[in-house]
Amino acid sequence: MAEKQSLRVVAPLEQLSAFFLLLQQGVWLQAQIGCSVASLLTEQFNIEEKYIVERITTMFLDFKPIDDLETTYVKDGSTLALSSAMPGLVGTTMRRGSHLAAMRGEISYQNQQQVVSGAGRIKIKLFNMVMTELGARFLAHGVCLTNGELDTLLSEMDDSFWQSIEFASVDDQQVDYTSLVNRVRTGITDEEILLKVEFTS
Amino acid sequence: MDKILRINMSAAGGPTQSTEKAGEFAALGGRATTSTIVGNEVPPDCHPLSADNKLVIAPGMLSGTAAAISGRISVGCKSPLTGGIKESNAGGQAAQVLARLGYAAVIIEGIPEGDDLYKIHINKDRVEISVDNSNKLLDNYPLIEKLQKEYGDKVAYMSIGSAGERLMASASIACTDPELRPTRHCGRGGVGAVMGSKKIKVIILDDAGCKNRPPQDAERFKTANRAFVEGIRKHPVSGEGLPAYGTNVLTNVLNEAGGYPTNNFKTGQFEGGTKISGESLAELEISRGGKATHGCHRGCVIQCSGIYNDKDGKYLTKQPEYETVWSHGGHCGISDLDTIATLDYWDDNVGVDTIEMGVAIGVAMDGGLLEFGDGVGAINLLRDEVAKGTPLGRILGGGAGMTGKAFGVTRVPVVKNQALPAYDPRTVQGIGVTYATSTQGADHTAGYAVATNILKVGGDVDPLKPEGQIELSRNLQIATTAIDSTGLCLFIAFPILDQPETFQSMLDLLGGFYGIEMTGDDVAALGQKVLTLERKFNKDAGFGPEDDRLPSFFQTEKLPPHNLTFGVTDEELDQLYNWD
Ligand code: SF4
Repeated sequence: MAEKQSLRVVAPLEQLSAFFLLLQQGVWLQAQIGCSVASLLTEQFNIEEKYIVERITTMFLDFKPIDDLETTYVKDGSTLALSSAMPGLVGTTMRRGSHLAAMRGEISYQNQQQVVSGAGRIKIKLFNMVMTELGARFLAHGVCLTNGELDTLLSEMDDSFWQSIEFASVDDQQVDYTSLVNRVRTGITDEEILLKVEFTS
Repeated sequence: MDKILRINMSAAGGPTQSTEKAGEFAALGGRATTSTIVGNEVPPDCHPLSADNKLVIAPGMLSGTAAAISGRISVGCKSPLTGGIKESNAGGQAAQVLARLGYAAVIIEGIPEGDDLYKIHINKDRVEISVDNSNKLLDNYPLIEKLQKEYGDKVAYMSIGSAGERLMASASIACTDPELRPTRHCGRGGVGAVMGSKKIKVIILDDAGCKNRPPQDAERFKTANRAFVEGIRKHPVSGEGLPAYGTNVLTNVLNEAGGYPTNNFKTGQFEGGTKISGESLAELEISRGGKATHGCHRGCVIQCSGIYNDKDGKYLTKQPEYETVWSHGGHCGISDLDTIATLDYWDDNVGVDTIEMGVAIGVAMDGGLLEFGDGVGAINLLRDEVAKGTPLGRILGGGAGMTGKAFGVTRVPVVKNQALPAYDPRTVQGIGVTYATSTQGADHTAGYAVATNILKVGGDVDPLKPEGQIELSRNLQIATTAIDSTGLCLFIAFPILDQPETFQSMLDLLGGFYGIEMTGDDVAALGQKVLTLERKFNKDAGFGPEDDRLPSFFQTEKLPPHNLTFGVTDEELDQLYNWD
């Protein structure tokens, strides 16, 4: 299979918000699947355990709240949503290990079986504070977008983003906004590109 | 708060007033006060819009003090929407001002003869009840703007819009915020219609010359307040999440959990959810020069609210709350924040409950009045029908139940005729128990995530047994009822849930102020006492077990993506009030 094209963007950190809608909707990442959620986050995405314990207090795997990160396994094509603690009765109920977890007993993640290991991909969704704190890390790791999704992202960005970026290239060839948009729009809509964004502070 | 003001609107020769000693109510507040007075004084079988009903307004136990975030005001009566007892509370400035004026409650009874419209002006020296027909059918924003010319900007206003005057069952009572905008509403249950039935357009509260209420034990109170604020600020929900994104931070999470009722409770996920999330809302507000962090009253240390400007950077409305964004958003299939903010403005202006109105519009969409997703149509309904009091507007203003009947809709999400809020009970079964059994009708705040674990209740629930859901809901409802009496905003629930020392500082605040020792047991006992009173009122008003039920479609229609139905049985629901 041919390698994906790679779009590299270097932008100031204050432009992270241009990716907020995308991060909430979810981005596909290449990953080793079949591991536990804990190992995915700590070993593959280098997120500190302390941060996970204290900040990512609400998590969903395939729309089900997770309580035990060590015994919940990630499958190829899974969706993992990461959030900090939420308000309200239902927000509290969704929290990992919540003492109110009984109230959402039927939707809680309960599949403890080991799943097939290997290369695959997962969709990561980031919400609230976790989005502002981890968004840059996941974007630097590289996320897969179709030309169609990239076109939507580019058209939603305002001029200030492109005026502020420091560098952009496709497969190491520098590009400007207009040529990038042309490239995306003339490409096959479902063809994927690997977007890597490096933020400078 | 050593006195009660009683106003008799029926008196021959015009309204009369009297002041009485607060008695047992001097050390009570909020819901405990309103429900006790309504329970003792209102005939349960009266018509809610008749002279026999009473409107009771009470600040919380800690309102008017230096205690942080203590500005909730409760309004109680027999509800024209549910037909049962009602306590509806709001933020804004009113609670602090009324408490500083020394009133534990204002009780308004009777109905005047004739068509005159009244205003009530309360300051430290006198209470003036006067006719002012120039306010007739003014909506809240123009009304407050007009009154400011007369009473200035150092007062608090409680008012009704045209919906209250037209006695719509979803009518609210607006309380002004620190910028004197009528954005905080005692929304639920049609309390605005009861105020309208008594021909009172507005209450002007002026605390010039009044001081904060002094605590009995100043040192203990001060120390407790400091610890309380510290606890609120260090907790990730009250110290970070709510200030940054407001309550609408819940949209993404509920949507992800498949518990976000969409298109009138047909599915649990809304495709446009991320576009109207708290994260997107905050980003938009900041980019337009509004605010994503703002307090609804002075002394709020969480500041979950905000300011929403339009495309030109002009004020449009306050930051809509999660329930409002849902009721006008996902419930109606609308994914445009400007449309939702415009609907929020019209709700506040006309003076209707945002949940009831949004749900009614979604039910009407299900009945074929509009397509789901028709934002322009939804605005037209509020602005051109409800605000003008047309027959269609009066049906919508009558609430989701009435709208469902008018349009022949079978999926009508109401309990005791009050619209369900933004959490589908098929996904989170426990909240369904609260919706079904609350004395207030379907209400997400009736069983909040208050510190049942610290109160040593609800902690050992077996998730595999339905009685676990019942026990949790029971304990949550008891604890919430007590917090509703303190005047503290319910969003203190999170630090007091997770941080035992913050829970203790809340008890010390109450103890230091009243010079008593308070324990968790006292809090639970207060909650249980008030619930018992409310339950008795409802029974005497004709409510039975059949009213403690969710609509049957929750048992028969599976909700995607989890494809669950509500599984708690009627027999189990009937176990909730196991003490009466
Ligand atoms: S947290 Fe929000 S609702 Fe509570 S008092 Fe503050 S601004 Fe008002």
